[in-house]
Amino acid sequence: MKFIIQRDQLIASVQDVMKAISSRTVIPILSGMKIEAKPDGITLTGSDSDISIESYIPAEENEMVHIEQIEPGSIVLQAKYFPDIVRKLPEKTVEIEADDQSQITIRSGKAKFSLNGLDAEEYPQLPRLQTEDSFEMPGDLLKSMIKQTGFAVSTMETRPILTGVHLKLDDNKLTFTATDSHRLASREVPVEAENTSFTGVVVPGKSLSELNKILADTEDKVEINVTNNQILFRTKRIQFLSRLLDGNYPETSRLIPEQSKTVLHVKTKELLSTIDRASLLAKDERNNVVRLTTQENQVVEITGNSPEVGTVTEDVAISSLEGEDLKISFSSKYMMDALRAIEYDEVKIDFTGAMRPFIIRPADGDPVLQLILPVRTY
Amino acid sequence: MGQQVPAKRRVIFHIDMNCFYASVEMAYNPKLKGKPLAIAGNPEERKGIVVTSSYEARKYGVKTTMNLWEARKKCPGLIAMRPNFERYRMASKEIFKMLSEITPLVQPVSIDEGYMDVTDAKEFANPIELAHHLQQKISEELDLPCSIGIAPNKFLAKMASDMKKPMGITVLRKRELPKVLWPLPIDDMYGIGGKTAEKLKSYDIHTIGDLALKDVYQLKQVLGINGERLKNRANGIDDRPVDPDAVHDFKSIGSSQTLSHDTTNEKEIQTLMNQLAENVERRVKRKQAAGCNVQLMIRYHDRKTITRSRKLQTYIEKKEDILQIAMDLLDKHWNLEPIRLLGITLQDVDEKRNIGQQLDLFTYEREASKEQLHLAIEALSAKYGKNPFKQLSADNEAKSSEIARTSFQKDFLDDYKR
Repeated sequence: MKFIIQRDQLIASVQDVMKAISSRTVIPILSGMKIEAKPDGITLTGSDSDISIESYIPAEENEMVHIEQIEPGSIVLQAKYFPDIVRKLPEKTVEIEADDQSQITIRSGKAKFSLNGLDAEEYPQLPRLQTEDSFEMPGDLLKSMIKQTGFAVSTMETRPILTGVHLKLDDNKLTFTATDSHRLASREVPVEAENTSFTGVVVPGKSLSELNKILADTEDKVEINVTNNQILFRTKRIQFLSRLLDGNYPETSRLIPEQSKTVLHVKTKELLSTIDRASLLAKDERNNVVRLTTQENQVVEITGNSPEVGTVTEDVAISSLEGEDLKISFSSKYMMDALRAIEYDEVKIDFTGAMRPFIIRPADGDPVLQLILPVRTY
Repeated sequence: MGQQVPAKRRVIFHIDMNCFYASVEMAYNPKLKGKPLAIAGNPEERKGIVVTSSYEARKYGVKTTMNLWEARKKCPGLIAMRPNFERYRMASKEIFKMLSEITPLVQPVSIDEGYMDVTDAKEFANPIELAHHLQQKISEELDLPCSIGIAPNKFLAKMASDMKKPMGITVLRKRELPKVLWPLPIDDMYGIGGKTAEKLKSYDIHTIGDLALKDVYQLKQVLGINGERLKNRANGIDDRPVDPDAVHDFKSIGSSQTLSHDTTNEKEIQTLMNQLAENVERRVKRKQAAGCNVQLMIRYHDRKTITRSRKLQTYIEKKEDILQIAMDLLDKHWNLEPIRLLGITLQDVDEKRNIGQQLDLFTYEREASKEQLHLAIEALSAKYGKNPFKQLSADNEAKSSEIARTSFQKDFLDDYKR
């Protein structure tokens, strides 16, 4: 195997593939990166048992030559050293060559690395998914869905299913839902998927967060393909394969209150920065609890207090307030996460009492929903 | 010229029970008196470590934390017993009850020692007489020996109680410091551990007197802010009050155990981890607390010890949650060498009533259905101060059985308060 490649192309691909490679892996060869050269381009592959990423660099693209002098073949090299080597090579092009003894030579300018590789035959075959039953959506929209929901997955393994994001496709609507049982985030978008529907697909939150890092923030299409136990995201250059979580995702829709007793409209940024300030005194302590109290004259009061430190009080002017008076305590962190995820200037918050979940939505009714369970204070 | 009112001189006692566990056993079984006795973790197994020994055993060189086989080698006639925590707990409770009959200003520091502020205890002609009375009373009623240190502050009282054992009463006056305290080696100073002592010695500080006279600036360079505090102590300055509530400031709850042999067997390790998490959960429950930081301690066969911890976003109290994080830490940080001891500690612990309870999406209905009740309580609390209702904890009944199983010194202190 041999080829000469533009270094920046190689760097970008290596970085993407590294997201799937872990130094602690059950199968030793998976700590390596597979490189496969074919006449039309090269493919890098990285995998841990949960996610696998393939990055393809075409030999030629839009009349630009990325790779030359390709002699087909494949090799697995030690991923630990490769990214740094590639990044620090002196010239714009890199020559990579592997011989029959799995010895790899990397040349760039006057630098020459000789590395021990592994036989690519030893590298496990990644499963190939059927591609008939798939749908497409813009990459930037997918990224935004991940950002708006992924943060709410559980970090505790006690209920493993909650460490994933629940995906549902039905009636041309794609819904992402995540909850750690203290808050819930959900987003729905219309997609064109006439012949496809699924429910009960739960993708590990970690997989989606890695995917989000790799996907470009453009409208380029991502093709999504779901089977029983895997999900594949495919772009022109990348194939991202993740295992799905086993088990039943809890039915969350019936847990979301439908009526509300107190309704608040407020500017997102103002509420966010007030809560941020109120949480200063309670930082990292006692669940970061702040308290919201409705006042007269279209004002709500946000207070934070830490017995050893002191208290903070701030009034927030609101656009409108309807319904019953309310005093409610909640985690400032959850609130800030939710407000940041909403990505809209004004939010509507529906409360149904101090001991029940409240719901934050964009004021324009966009189908993003952030739900937070309050903190009961004693 | 106004005359300066002298700050009231305090009189502080430090009561230190002599060889507490061993003495309690002797009180239960007087035949043991005068014999070399060791209370050890588990006499049948190698991990049996001497927790306490009688003076007779100490004469042969038996020391606390010594392996039992080592102790037996030094003292062939050694009688070894398993600890009987329920007995010690009861004895401790009785002792602290006696102390609090004299003054409410009693601060237990562990099962077998505590401070008293007797400045205002006027029934006796002088503190020395009071000390004699107390020592006699504990000896007559409980058949237990103790040493008492009398001094103007906690630090000196602690140093004083250490000077004469058993059944000593030592008065340490400030003016006597250069003669009595300063010649002592720096290792003997309370508050200075092995590492600090080594550090100080490398700066030519070998006695408490050396420390007392050392330049503050230099000390701060070596020990940070602690330097000044320790120098003050050496000079007999310590204005910490005797705080009866100090025992309730718990920041961490932990459990650790030595394995019967060094092991890499994952099943054994898993079993022990499970047990430790269970211990932590039980104690967390007792205190009606929760914590948001889990620490794992691993001691390897060569005594090399590491601690690793993880800060959490939410407070946890359940065994599964604690175990989950601890196992995670183990997976990440265990270098696969044989393990000798494991410990799990829940840190950043606070009482639940200070934390508030984060409601759960899947169970909030249960709490919410009581909302009206909570509102009523809140209104009444606002009117009458502290919550006028007492929560009947469901595990109240479970508690009596727990007491027997829990062996942690700090938990004794709660009992005394209850």
